Amino acid sequence: MHYVLHYGQIAPYLPYLMGGMAISLALSILSFIGGMVLGLFFAVIRNEGHPVAGRLVRIYVAFFTNTPQLVQIYVIYFGLPDFGILFSPFAAVLIGMTLNAAAYLTEILRAGLSTVHAQELDAAETLGMNRLQTLRHVTLPHLFKVAMPALTNQYILMTLGTSMAAIFGVEELTGRAFNINSTTFRSIEIFTTVAALYVVVTFIATILLALVGRWAFRARVPVL
Amino acid sequence: MAHLDIRGLVARYNNATVLDGIDLSIERGEIVSLIGPSGSGKSTLLRVISGLLPPRAGTVALAGETINYADRRSLRRSRDKLAIVFQQYNLFGNMNVLRNVMVAPVTIQKRDKKTVEAEACALLAKVGLADKLNAYPDELSGGQQQRVAIARALCLKPDILLLDEVTSALDPERVGEVLDTVKMLAADNMTLLIVSHEMGFVREVSHRVAFMADGKIQEMGPPAQIFGTPQQPRTQAFVSRILGH
Ligand SMILES: Nc1ncnc2c1ncn2[C@@H]1O[C@H](COP(=O)(O)OP(=O)(O)OP(=O)(O)O)[C@@H](O)[C@H]1O
Ligand SMILES: [Mg+2]
Repeated sequence: MHYVLHYGQIAPYLPYLMGGMAISLALSILSFIGGMVLGLFFAVIRNEGHPVAGRLVRIYVAFFTNTPQLVQIYVIYFGLPDFGILFSPFAAVLIGMTLNAAAYLTEILRAGLSTVHAQELDAAETLGMNRLQTLRHVTLPHLFKVAMPALTNQYILMTLGTSMAAIFGVEELTGRAFNINSTTFRSIEIFTTVAALYVVVTFIATILLALVGRWAFRARVPVL
Repeated sequence: MAHLDIRGLVARYNNATVLDGIDLSIERGEIVSLIGPSGSGKSTLLRVISGLLPPRAGTVALAGETINYADRRSLRRSRDKLAIVFQQYNLFGNMNVLRNVMVAPVTIQKRDKKTVEAEACALLAKVGLADKLNAYPDELSGGQQQRVAIARALCLKPDILLLDEVTSALDPERVGEVLDTVKMLAADNMTLLIVSHEMGFVREVSHRVAFMADGKIQEMGPPAQIFGTPQQPRTQAFVSRILGH
């Protein structure tokens, strides 16, 4: 049989797909930022060796890195309503992704923190810096510099992971692709186009993050 | 009144007593060198004085004011007056040379940025690094990094400077540049406590030399005494070994 590729038929849907892309990006960027804030907090707790708080963080990380993200979001979206906590699909996915990202980012950031040179910390202390000043001027710049490649990688994974939101009815890029598919049945054209869009987006993100790393933190990340 | 007055100082790592009752009194403008075998506790003494390792017993007083190492404010006050340069330079890898020197005066002492910058540039010029202001530590030689570390300490305008083997990580050609810098400080009438293995240098710049072993100061006196006519057998053994007799 002959299947004639007909990309022209999905061209009118491009703006619609772009809108979905914006939702995907919103999910990945927001959950990455949220995950970074939580992860940084957890990583510092872990690194300070606080006995109780450190153990709680370890349990948190173990839980979220050893269960499927899909199941985590299921619990939030379908499980929590039983306790009277209701979320929109978007909110449920965002919360699930943020909590999940926090666990992975905790591990990445903690590994980075452990590479901060003890001598630099000694210098900071004897120069009179308090903890917060040390964190801001010494620890964090070093951390972002060494962790930049791993953080970039994590962000890319999260961008691709947003496609899972389609399962919950969030009309992000993949969700909209499903919608178009069910009316046009141009599966190959649609999903290759969508795949290409993901490639473009992750490619741009990789470059942007590499540039940020270079300029802000002197990270030696090849831009390409 | 002594500028730096140390009495009965005891320090431990885990259960090992590293400083076992140190008494040391240094006058304003005096240069005292600490010598002694590896592991005798010289670096530990500087770490305790600068507040990186809390003492188990004894006191340290700066210009008559005893430092309370358990009190952040007291510690802060002491760090305004006292600076330390480490053996491994300990520069901040994420900052260029100028920022390394400026960060503490600007962010901690809250001094005017323009003024600090002018002072930092002058100090860096003084140690021969005027053309390296924008370089990062990993782009500098060991001797250059060590001189940045000295400039960083000086920019805090300390009354007392502690120097821990500032030349030991350097190759011989670089040692000279750093020693010249230290001699310059000595000429400025700063109070200096120097740990060094460079006996020629110690003999040349020190007013007094303290020989340390087993966590105690075994003998102390002018360089002529320590290197020429040491009183204690342990000092004699150390000095004759290190001077190669
Ligand atoms: N962080 C540490 N933890 C445990 N023990 C330590 C630590 N630092 C130093 N020590 C021990 O304390 C003793 C004194 O060490 P210190 O570094 O003060 O010696 P030093 O006189 O400076 O020697 P060197 O001339 O080799 O620099 C040594 O026995 C050393 O093993
Ligand atoms: Mg030492």
